[in-house]
Amino acid sequence: MLELMLSSVGCAALCYTLGRYNRTLALQRWQFVLNAPEERALESLRRRVELDTALARQALDAAERARDARRPADALTVLRVALSVLEEAGADRLTRLRAMAVYSRMVRAIRPLPAPSPAPFRGARLKAAAVFAGFVHGFLVGTQERFRLWLVLMGLGVRIVLHGGQRAVDGAFREPARARPWAAFAEGLSDFEALDASHLAAFEALAASLAAVDRGGRLELWERIAGDSR
Amino acid sequence: MSDLQLLVAHLVKLGLVALLAGMLLRGRLGLCWAFGAYVLAILVGNTLVTLAPERFYTPAFWVLKQGVYDALKVAIAIELAWRAFAAFPGAWRTARVVLLALLAVSTLSLAGLTPRAYDTLWQWQPGAVTASVWLLTTTALLVVFYQVPIAEWQRAIMLGLAPYLLVFVTLMSLLRRLGWAMVERISFIDQLAYLGLVLFWAFAAWRKDETRLAAGPAGSPA
Repeated sequence: MLELMLSSVGCAALCYTLGRYNRTLALQRWQFVLNAPEERALESLRRRVELDTALARQALDAAERARDARRPADALTVLRVALSVLEEAGADRLTRLRAMAVYSRMVRAIRPLPAPSPAPFRGARLKAAAVFAGFVHGFLVGTQERFRLWLVLMGLGVRIVLHGGQRAVDGAFREPARARPWAAFAEGLSDFEALDASHLAAFEALAASLAAVDRGGRLELWERIAGDSR
Repeated sequence: MSDLQLLVAHLVKLGLVALLAGMLLRGRLGLCWAFGAYVLAILVGNTLVTLAPERFYTPAFWVLKQGVYDALKVAIAIELAWRAFAAFPGAWRTARVVLLALLAVSTLSLAGLTPRAYDTLWQWQPGAVTASVWLLTTTALLVVFYQVPIAEWQRAIMLGLAPYLLVFVTLMSLLRRLGWAMVERISFIDQLAYLGLVLFWAFAAWRKDETRLAAGPAGSPA
């Protein structure tokens, strides 16, 4: 009976993983890793991050101006726009974090990142998550594991900020005159900027690690990957 | 052996020949030599049993050929892992540790189940088969975890073998519960499942690979 159970679990795991396995995507990922277009990709990401936060910040400023001018309906509409900018940027960050987790397993070594710290964050939940991650960081030995801990913290951080942003907007809709929801949204936006700085640092570390394989080694590895597994 | 069983055995033989021909003509033999040896061993075993049943359709020969098949299945799993991870030292290090641990555990547990007698085959066969399933599963999990590219053919070998082995373990379990009176029926179901497996492999062996990478600007495929 034990063998039957073990075989069933093993077979299900194998069929699930290999059934979803996409060889073309795996090859494309390796091609990307071995080409390592780090500078171009980093610059493009930096521009994207700056644009997102500038848009969200501008929308929040416009909403606050409308609120100060006693136009609550306009203020709330623009605050919703600020939230939607954050939500879109958050989805983009989460997708990239997942991709970085995949790529981090494909490189031999990753440039070390500092231990997570609560200092750049303003929100209590995010600060607590950073303190906990900093504590776990001390127990991890490999740079890859530490890097993935950073990714987990950033993913959690983005979710915390988006959740807090949604609650702040709901609060502002319920009581437009109250200052607390507006302050909470501004706090969340500031945390999102801090997370973006970490996001860029992690991406830069990963890109540098991808580029660390020498050109000859890359070509040889690509030959083996693409040549052996026809 | 009934006429129906003999017919299915001949169909399996034809399937195996088609499979071997496909592997040879499509250049898949070199992608897993152990698998080629396994198919050849099955073909020889099948031919001996169907052409001279009075001599080879015996418990002693069954135990002998099953031992050879079990060893070759383990060899297939190990060769597939080696071929997948040989170019990736980090992943290969992890795979080696996990596979060696699995092999050690299964060898120790199987050592306690000797002697291998035909009339108690349900006691030792499921353990040997489960070990093969988990060797294949570990390779599959590591392939996906490290995003290691493997050939469609290697994927087909694993995707075919593991479900068949599960069917085999299930049939062994049924045999244990229902007793030897059901052995002919259970053996026939096993033959049908194996025929399905051979046809799946033959189809995969003859299929042309279509994976081509477009040469374009390098952007992350995420």
